Amino acid sequence: MTPQSTPRDELPNPWDPMLRFLRSAGFRFALLFAVVFSAAAAGFAFVLWFATAGSLDRQTDAALRTDALGLMERWREGGPGAVADAIAERLAADVENHAIYMLLDPQGRRVAGNLDRWPASVGQGPDGPWSFAFVAREGTSVEARIYAINLDDYRLIAGRDIEEKQRLRDTLAEGIAWSAIAASLFAFLGAAVLRRALANRLRPATRTAEAIAAGDLSRRVPSSGRADEFDRLGESMNTMLDRIDRLMEGVRGVSDSIAHDLRTPIARARAKLEEALADTSEPGALRAAIEQAIADLDHITRVFGALLRIAEAEAGARRAAFATLDLAAVLADVAEFYGAVAESRGQALETDLPERLDLVGDRELLAQAVGNLIDNALKFTPPGGRVLLSARILAREGVEVSVADSGPGLPLEDRARAGERFFRADASRGTPGSGLGLSLVRAVAHLHGGDLLLDDAEPGREPPGLRASLRLGTA
Amino acid sequence: MPIRLPLSVVLAAPLLIANGEPMPRITSDSHEYCTELVGRFARLPGAAVEPARSLAADGVRLCEEGQPRAGVAKLRRAIRAAQAPP
Amino acid sequence: MRILLVEDDAEVARFVRRGLQEAGHTVEHAANGRDGLFLAASEQFDMLVLDRMLPGGVDGVRLVETLRAQGNRTPVLFLSALSAVDERVKGLKAGGDDYLVKPFAFAELVARVEALARRPTVDAPATRLKIADLEMDLLSRTVTRGGKRIEIQPREFRLLEHLMRHAGQVVTRTMLLEKVWDYHFDPQTNVIDVHVSRLRQKVDRGFDKPLIHTVRNAGYMIRAEP
Repeated sequence: MTPQSTPRDELPNPWDPMLRFLRSAGFRFALLFAVVFSAAAAGFAFVLWFATAGSLDRQTDAALRTDALGLMERWREGGPGAVADAIAERLAADVENHAIYMLLDPQGRRVAGNLDRWPASVGQGPDGPWSFAFVAREGTSVEARIYAINLDDYRLIAGRDIEEKQRLRDTLAEGIAWSAIAASLFAFLGAAVLRRALANRLRPATRTAEAIAAGDLSRRVPSSGRADEFDRLGESMNTMLDRIDRLMEGVRGVSDSIAHDLRTPIARARAKLEEALADTSEPGALRAAIEQAIADLDHITRVFGALLRIAEAEAGARRAAFATLDLAAVLADVAEFYGAVAESRGQALETDLPERLDLVGDRELLAQAVGNLIDNALKFTPPGGRVLLSARILAREGVEVSVADSGPGLPLEDRARAGERFFRADASRGTPGSGLGLSLVRAVAHLHGGDLLLDDAEPGREPPGLRASLRLGTA
Repeated sequence: MPIRLPLSVVLAAPLLIANGEPMPRITSDSHEYCTELVGRFARLPGAAVEPARSLAADGVRLCEEGQPRAGVAKLRRAIRAAQAPP
Repeated sequence: MRILLVEDDAEVARFVRRGLQEAGHTVEHAANGRDGLFLAASEQFDMLVLDRMLPGGVDGVRLVETLRAQGNRTPVLFLSALSAVDERVKGLKAGGDDYLVKPFAFAELVARVEALARRPTVDAPATRLKIADLEMDLLSRTVTRGGKRIEIQPREFRLLEHLMRHAGQVVTRTMLLEKVWDYHFDPQTNVIDVHVSRLRQKVDRGFDKPLIHTVRNAGYMIRAEP
């Protein structure tokens, strides 16, 4: 195998930790922080610079313009002589020692001023009359701001030695540079702190998730007590884990039930077939045994189907099939469907339904759940008895569908267990049924954001009868 | 200024030939300008009044001692003082 | 009828094939989706019986989608171990005509195959159905037998209509549950039997020749001859 064909993840890439770091959300947040912080610092420095150094420059320029305007005034009043006098006068009174003047006559001779020659850069720059020039002062080169104008054929320079201001500017620039370094330092420090804080706050969630992934389902995300976003994340994770826990328990319950309620009929079918095999002398018996075995298998299939239905409802996978429906119509259909059965047994199935009952839900599962309740009620109601299917809108959002019968009712101690899979109250042992009916009803209720309630249909009466109420939320 | 002189020479030397021609020089830091200012000062009416008079004297002395820049500065202050209304 | 069976389980395939042959059909068998698609696309069949999950990269749903995209309208019956309602919907949406969940009774399979085969491909809007002296008017929604009006409820009407549209064919209880009530769950009790017997009371009582017959271990059939 050539090195090129080796899968990349087999070779430890030395850049991998680096890349992982760069891709981390913590790093990105930190980078964002650093960028924002630096941008703020840069903006601050820019304003500072504009307000100080820029202001100094503007002051110089304004003074030069005023100076030149004054000299032009003199020119109009008295010509070159007056200007030369004015220049000499101004130079003489220049205590700050920063004034620069020069007046050249048309022949290029110096008439007045304190420069020995015309600066080469003057009048060539892009700024028109404005320019910068280097001049020599006592052997040192200093920078000067120059404003050059023409007075008829004469040429005039008004300038300022800005070396002093330049030094101030340099000091300021140096200060800003140091602040920039300090700001970058703070930006990176802040970014690092932010990244660390983020990692620290996420660590409990990560640790818990890792422990769960490793198989320890009892772990939960500890709360920091700050009730912030991270605590909310932890709470959501815990809610999710609790739900998973309940599902796992459900699965364990199902496997226990399967072990009991599916193995028993399988064992029965198997025993019958084996018996028939050993006793092949009589063809009629053999045939009867095979038919019985097929019936047993069909029963197993039905239990299986019921279990799968419950699992379907409990997993919430069918929420995708939810649609707006008129529950009143669905209930009327179910009542009509089972009404024939009640009639054939001499029972009465009565309904008390509103005109319309709009609900978002799963028609198939709701029909099956209510069908199960009616079927149960009919099984426990003696001939001549009555079963009432009613529905009403609850005061707080939601709908209640009740099936009340005139049967023996259910003892209190059995009610809590009635929704468990394969639970059958002692009184019902003799009747047909898988013991899964109410489990399905309960699962359907949960799927629709509600619950199944069991109580006496008419308390005080003997027998009290049973009322099963399917409460549906608006989910 | 025994230290500053060679330093300024070193700094100035390359700059004087920038762009192939000598750099413009400021002429108002010279002994000649001192003399010009002294003349100008003398013509002012307030030249005999203190503190202008002693400022001018200081300026002249500094110019004589070979510090034309400081001398010019003193003389300018003297002129300004002499121009200011009493 | 010439039927193509696409089923990967050899035992189920053998059982289905033998049963359909005994019922008088010719059966071709493919063991995976790709062969099945090839056969279905290149030869003429009256019906396809497809397993929903098939090896070979082409599953039942893909196979039907491909055929339908090519304009092939051959009726398709899905066989599937997937009982979830979503799976049924997926199968029918892809272009399947019926969906049967494994394990199934053979009678159920044969009944559905026959029902699909006799389904009119182009729905000629029949307005009257007639079996012997039993007549059904689909427009006025009335039923008469021997010229005598029979009072019938809407759901009973639909039940009778379904039986009459498949006259001479076995209609199973599950088929009635699905087609007449549109329920796909196990009603726990013999509800369908009760409904059929109630219908029978109205249609057959007082007439010497019963029309609705019970087929043992399978379902019901409406036919003129006893």
